[in-house]
Amino acid sequence: MRPARQPPAPRTGDRGLSALLGHLDLLEAESIHIFREATAQFRAPVLLYSIGKDSTVLLHLARKAFFPAKPPFPLLHVDTTWKFRDMIAFRDRTQLELGLNLIVHINKDGIARGINPIEYPPSVYTEVMKTQALRQVLDRYKFDAAFGGARRDEEASRAKERVFSFRSEGHRWDPRKQRPEMWRLLNGRLGPGETVRVFPLSNWTEKDVWRYIAREGLDVVPLYFAAERPTIERNGSLLVLDDDRLPLREGEEVKIQSVRFRTLGCWPLTAAVRSAASDLKSVIEETLSASASERQGRLIDHDDAGGLERKKQEGYF
Amino acid sequence: MAVLVEPVADGPRGTHNVAARATRVLHGVKANDAALSHEPIVVHAGPLNVIACGSVDDGKSTLIGRMLWDADALTTDQRAAIERAARTAAGTPDFSRLVDGLAAEREQGITIDIAWRYFDTPKRRLVIIDSPGHEQYTRNMATGASHADIAILLVDARSGMKVQTRRHAAILDLMGVRHVVLAVNKMDLVDWSESRFRAIEGEFLALADRFGFRDAAAIPVSAVLGDGIARRSKNMVWYAGLPLLDHLHEVSGRQGAEDASGSFRFPVQMVVRAGQDFRGLAGTVTSGAIARGEEVVDVVSGRRTRVRRIVTMGHDLDRAGAGQAVVLQLDTDIDVSRGAVLAAPGAAPVAVRSFAARLVWLSDQPFERGRGYLVRMATDLVPVASLDISRHLDLTTLAERPALTCSANDIAVARIELGRATVVEAFANQRETGSLMLVDAVTGASVAGGVVVETHAAAPKPAGDTFRLTRSLIKHGVGADLGDDAASEEELRRRANEVAILLRGAGVTVELDDRWGHAGFDASSLWFGVMAVLSFGCAAAIAIGLI
Ligand SMILES: Nc1nc2c(ncn2[C@@H]2O[C@H](COP(=O)(O)OP(=O)(O)OP(=O)(O)O)[C@@H](O)[C@H]2O)c(=O)[nH]1
Ligand SMILES: [Mg+2]
Repeated sequence: MRPARQPPAPRTGDRGLSALLGHLDLLEAESIHIFREATAQFRAPVLLYSIGKDSTVLLHLARKAFFPAKPPFPLLHVDTTWKFRDMIAFRDRTQLELGLNLIVHINKDGIARGINPIEYPPSVYTEVMKTQALRQVLDRYKFDAAFGGARRDEEASRAKERVFSFRSEGHRWDPRKQRPEMWRLLNGRLGPGETVRVFPLSNWTEKDVWRYIAREGLDVVPLYFAAERPTIERNGSLLVLDDDRLPLREGEEVKIQSVRFRTLGCWPLTAAVRSAASDLKSVIEETLSASASERQGRLIDHDDAGGLERKKQEGYF
Repeated sequence: MAVLVEPVADGPRGTHNVAARATRVLHGVKANDAALSHEPIVVHAGPLNVIACGSVDDGKSTLIGRMLWDADALTTDQRAAIERAARTAAGTPDFSRLVDGLAAEREQGITIDIAWRYFDTPKRRLVIIDSPGHEQYTRNMATGASHADIAILLVDARSGMKVQTRRHAAILDLMGVRHVVLAVNKMDLVDWSESRFRAIEGEFLALADRFGFRDAAAIPVSAVLGDGIARRSKNMVWYAGLPLLDHLHEVSGRQGAEDASGSFRFPVQMVVRAGQDFRGLAGTVTSGAIARGEEVVDVVSGRRTRVRRIVTMGHDLDRAGAGQAVVLQLDTDIDVSRGAVLAAPGAAPVAVRSFAARLVWLSDQPFERGRGYLVRMATDLVPVASLDISRHLDLTTLAERPALTCSANDIAVARIELGRATVVEAFANQRETGSLMLVDAVTGASVAGGVVVETHAAAPKPAGDTFRLTRSLIKHGVGADLGDDAASEEELRRRANEVAILLRGAGVTVELDDRWGHAGFDASSLWFGVMAVLSFGCAAAIAIGLI
């Protein structure tokens, strides 16, 4: 090496170019690149489709990556049986419309044991109906790579995640042993027993997701838009009653009001926000000026501090 | 284009057709062009990636946290959480918790892995990468550095430059990061002393000169108190330069206007087939541009053809430039697949097998001559026939000294011979075909990252005899650590396959002797090692773990 003086680094590579492309174009291209790298390198990939806005963008990018062919992997939805009905309807319509291969998996064992989000603490419920369920289905089909819509801007431990995130046997994430991941090079060589989570939206923010949805004209679950819905207030969170499985407590009273969701999950564990933003433009405006982070809406996350990280180490997505 | 069926127009449970809404609500234009995406945020090119680096405990995470705090880049719940948490010795909120997101990091008070934070300024998006200073996690800092446009190098005003500070500077240099600003932190602990600052500044300017950093500047700050970060410091009126955030804005305003006039490169990621007739090559243009009808050459085979279509979902393009992910359909179906690089015939590189690279060794396992290594470059994965370390960078003197080995965190120069020719270019000319990851063939681990310094003319091809790979060979070579149980046996077979693939990749004809237990050569003997080298080239011997 003659490190004393290197010629100026070239700017003709992935960054210099970019003057011609917009911000969303660059994010889109990066995600497509990731989809293709993973598909070329892994034997049996699957796309974890959780129906929300991130999954919608993820699926759209997957379609772009392989066009004119269809994405060469199935979609997987881990159904806890507590998703909003609107979500399930949206999922089924999407699958039908796009003619994609969709695997729906429910942890039957969890159902048999009567695990639900009402009588069990969120951590137990999530462990059984989401984490274990996911492990079951990944193992059953021997998938070695799973695409997910997680973004680094969601949460402080997510901010540490690689694009190819390796999991050791038992799907464990060891944050001390993440693989170096340099430039645009993605090394997907697996060691014995290893599998991978792939995050094509790593560098997207919540704002990017909404802007992209608008630009591409994508449909999303109606729950993201404000409408009059039956709500109750519990432990400071606003819950929307999606069916009659949640027994009301003393003093709780159903109130019809205009609310929407920033993030979607199992309905008894997902908090709504009061809002009048009933169309895309106003949702984007609200997102741009939001002062709270979107994860506020996920009750399982503030179960305890460091909760998400621990769940990930145990194999949660 | 709308992905789904037409909206169920009535009722609150109906699907909202976003496209229709965007069209109506916005500017009355087609949904695809909805102006939302072009709104204020980034008029200026892509994001600017800024890494914070420097030695352990010098205050990187605190500084990043402070910047986010002062730049109003936080949500109310994030602010509240920091206000609630334990305070620093100085009695201020502990800003490092904004980026040290892992439980282990908070417990130990050190950063383990890089954190990515995104915030939008009126000019463009800033992506801030906080990196760990601890030597043990240098590989994570190197990961961050490879993505950075600008670096903030931190030092503690009490101690100045340390070996680890210089190591980080050397890694920035290796990765081609040219804009480096020194933040002299903890000025509150040296009584805001100008002479202390000037001494460190002098040391830094010498180092910047040595590495050729551009716009080298040093700024005195206090991360916990906020002096010199978002605002000028009343405690350091002697400092006339810009505060750190303003300096970053200044530099970022000047960056990114560079052109896309490099020569065309297109590493092929995969072949896309649809129906009977469509066969296209998927990839990202990494440099230059291509237009429909233009001629391209597959660098390794030398075959030429024209681009018939540039396909993306929705519509074909007339032209695609660097950064765009497309599918190219060629005029004649030349046999090109993953790993190939298409280039413009007039300015195409040549395929080479031999080059010199600067490496930063990332694995806890030192370089071992007997191990099989692979090189990942652009979309290709090529077996290494031989790798020779020649020099190291001495981090105390910043001079080079001869060396033969390489272990964790070393920065070294190596000569690499590949098992077959591929597209390799000097990093100084082409980032993407000039940067590489060295991969352990058996474990798959990424063991070193590197950049190509120069390429050499072709080396001779290995001999063409058939190589019989037996159980015994593997057992004495890369399988020496395995026992005799069933699981070990399966692992042995897996490794045998790996080795076979590796050798075939190196151009050696391999016959996998599947009658396990049938003894082949005595692989442990020196004689066999010599024979293997003579008959099948170094790759064969390395692959089975003999040399
Ligand atoms: N007095 C004073 N203390 C500081 C300042 N900046 C950081 N510190 C303290 O220095 C210690 C280390 O700070 P960190 O921000 O964790 O250091 P770091 O560089 O991120 O450390 P690693 O990531 O582990 O390499 C903490 O106790 C901080 O409160 C400063 O400007 N003044
Ligand atoms: Mg830190």
